[in-house]
Amino acid sequence: MSTLDAELSRLSQDTSCLATGSDHVTVGELRVRAASIRKQMPMVCGLSIALCGLSPASLIETLVAFDGFASQIFLLPARIDHDTQQKLIESAQSAYALKESEGLAPTKVEASCSDLHDSPTRWILATSGTTGVPKLISHTLTSLTRTMKRDTRRGSTYTWGLMYDPCRFAGLQVVLQALIGGSCLALPLSVSFEEQVDTLLEQKVNALSATPSLWRKLLMDGRVLGLPIKQITLGGETVDQPLLDGLHKRFPEARIVHIYASTEAGAAFAVQDGRAGFPSAWLGGISAPVPLRVGCDGQLLIKPAEMPAGDEILSRLDVDGFLDTQDLVRLDGDRVHFLGRVSGAINVGGNKVHPEEVENVIREISNVFDVRVFAKSNSIMGQLVAAEVVADAGVDTKLLRQQIQQHCRSKLEPWQCPALVMLVNDLQETAAGKRKRMS
Amino acid sequence: MKKIILETMQSVAEMTECELISDLNEETVLLESGLDSLGYAILVSRLEEELGYDPFSIMDEPVYPRTLAEFVNIYEKYAPVK
Repeated sequence: MSTLDAELSRLSQDTSCLATGSDHVTVGELRVRAASIRKQMPMVCGLSIALCGLSPASLIETLVAFDGFASQIFLLPARIDHDTQQKLIESAQSAYALKESEGLAPTKVEASCSDLHDSPTRWILATSGTTGVPKLISHTLTSLTRTMKRDTRRGSTYTWGLMYDPCRFAGLQVVLQALIGGSCLALPLSVSFEEQVDTLLEQKVNALSATPSLWRKLLMDGRVLGLPIKQITLGGETVDQPLLDGLHKRFPEARIVHIYASTEAGAAFAVQDGRAGFPSAWLGGISAPVPLRVGCDGQLLIKPAEMPAGDEILSRLDVDGFLDTQDLVRLDGDRVHFLGRVSGAINVGGNKVHPEEVENVIREISNVFDVRVFAKSNSIMGQLVAAEVVADAGVDTKLLRQQIQQHCRSKLEPWQCPALVMLVNDLQETAAGKRKRMS
Repeated sequence: MKKIILETMQSVAEMTECELISDLNEETVLLESGLDSLGYAILVSRLEEELGYDPFSIMDEPVYPRTLAEFVNIYEKYAPVK
């Protein structure tokens, strides 16, 4: 049973592993900082802790400190409101919460001590469930790093950029790959796009993981074209062929990988042949990275070697131990392509939107008789939110459109607001009487 | 074409509560025009409704326009022949 600190102990201690501005931290320094955190917070030993809103640098030091020390580390994502945060802390049973500004404080949860000799530290990540309420998925360092490259000779030639929230699955993957692979990780000072790109240029990043939407934005911005990119990773959204071709043309030397991963299933597999989707042969088990099947409703089923724990996972397993990914796929000759979520969840540039949530907000407006919210394909962001609205008779439609936009903006995140609103006479339903969710 | 694009940009800016920069011109860098990338994605979808095509989904070689002039050129180049 390895810990993150033990993984770091294998590396050359004087190589730089974190870079923020002109500040470089070596592996040895990171481990010293982590040891000092353990010393300052001995009460966390064997207990469960929630990490709330830490800067990327503090978060990484804390993860090294507490893996193998705390019984459970709950990584609370950024942008979660206070009430939801409290509910999640209770639901994760975190006895302590560590905040950047306030430091360590006990929560209302009663502390129960675990013996770490028997089980590794649990890493708890939040995912957004079908109703929009985040669900908790329990990983371990092993389940999170199973597919990672450990060739430190190659890894040491990479400087990774961080474009994701490191408390989310995709961001944590970048952090752990950089640390375990012996690479340097460039940390931006803020989450603004400008600052992120400045960091990429300043640190001469040559390995980068981002969503397809973010890659398109980086290509439009153009400044990254001067970077000596060797490794391109795409994930979080379905990847299309034009983007893969565009990246290959602009970075001919780069290895381009698109990853199929989710908080629930972990990093399931990676596709490296430069084509969208994945080979159909994998469904028959030929050269498949993990056992894969297509369920009776067209959803992809997978059986990763290391399955995270939790009720959410158990509820999605079939008798053979395959996990329902709830991603719909279609067989197109020698390729399998992704079509979207079973739930109809819309993926706007990597941000998940639940149609029901948007429909409920629109229904609050007077003069709206009925509404259907669905995904509209978009060549820039993958998908956008579209709404068909049935208005009461005799309504001023121009005014109603304005009301819908204003009301949604006041209640929802920008990417959840409908980009297109169409006024229609009636709504289409599927044969099963369900709302049609695809455009 | 340029007029339609500018009008749609203005409408998207109002809808997303962004403010377009005052001296919007051909050399304006799109990501600095005042629309964020979500606004820009909405612009492409709104133009598709208006014009009946999305050049970015039909082009063989992907092009990522940097300036407003490049953006307008793409729409002109891929306009269906009437």
